[in-house]
Amino acid sequence: MDSLGAILIYLTAAWLTVVALSRGTGTFRRGIARAVEQALTLVPRMIFALIAAGFMVKLIPTELIGRYLGAEAGFTGILIGSLAGLLVPSGPVIAFAIAAAFANQGAAVPALVSFVSAWSIFAAHRVVIFEIPLLGARFTAVRLLSAFPLPVVAGSLSLLALRLAEAIPR
Amino acid sequence: MSDEKAAGGFDWRSLLRQSFGPSFWIFVAAAAVMGVICYLVLGEKAFSSATARDSELLLDLLPRVVAAQIVAGLVWALFPRERISALLARNSGHRGLMLAALGGIITPGGPASAFPLLAILAGAGADRGILVSYITSWALLGVQRMIVWDIPLMGVDFSVLRFAVSLPLPILAGYIARRISIGVDPADA
Repeated sequence: MDSLGAILIYLTAAWLTVVALSRGTGTFRRGIARAVEQALTLVPRMIFALIAAGFMVKLIPTELIGRYLGAEAGFTGILIGSLAGLLVPSGPVIAFAIAAAFANQGAAVPALVSFVSAWSIFAAHRVVIFEIPLLGARFTAVRLLSAFPLPVVAGSLSLLALRLAEAIPR
Repeated sequence: MSDEKAAGGFDWRSLLRQSFGPSFWIFVAAAAVMGVICYLVLGEKAFSSATARDSELLLDLLPRVVAAQIVAGLVWALFPRERISALLARNSGHRGLMLAALGGIITPGGPASAFPLLAILAGAGADRGILVSYITSWALLGVQRMIVWDIPLMGVDFSVLRFAVSLPLPILAGYIARRISIGVDPADA
């Protein structure tokens, strides 16, 4: 994909290593321990999630993704992206594997922004495992109502931003 | 959940058992089933083109994902949890919402870190606008999620755009939350 992302991440890792080492008191060791633990859990799952999503998306006809999530879909794509994101009841591994696969098959950026935003806000597993037990059903209801419009707003703002960027003569 | 465990040394055996536990095999099974369906429905040619594309994507992603995990781990270790929650509980009004959104952006870790912090904030007397703004910001804009997931998998352009358009949204959600008339507890009903 883009090498800028890779460079950014490597530089940040190097910078944080220096900061953590200069802090002393085991900060670096704790951080690396956490990283190893997380990577060991995530990476094996991610590999197979990406493979599964790659095959799954291949099975959906490309013109279907183009029609409902592609650039022509416009605002409808934003609504469908939001709805699809709402329906992913799992962690980032599956959600981002699906998003990357959609992107590979020609889904438009605003629809993808809506998809990722809707999943981020509503992720049902998180609500059930953490939010309701720790904060109660009433708080959860308030939060969900307050955040309900946000995925569509985020997608629409992206569409607007991209149209504006196109309109500016170079 | 695993937040506290990381402080000590490694228990490699339980770590590996967790990494390659049942849910890992569910992912493997899903990939195999999807692969077989793909092969049967679309034929050998589409199957091999999908596998070629998948392996290209994986080789491209893996080094970045590993580096992103190092960043996430170090950010998590450097993050001053107590200072943030004390700061948020002390502020209210518009300023409070903005600080809450900022706190959500910088809070590292998954839901196992963010939700306990939210519960501490609620206990410390932060109003529901602040709570909603904080957790929405963590979910939408959390820098750690951007580094670990958005940038490696979706690219820098996508991540920057998503971050920019989402920046005002947690504050908006906080204002809406202050206007919704569902009592969260007797004190603010």
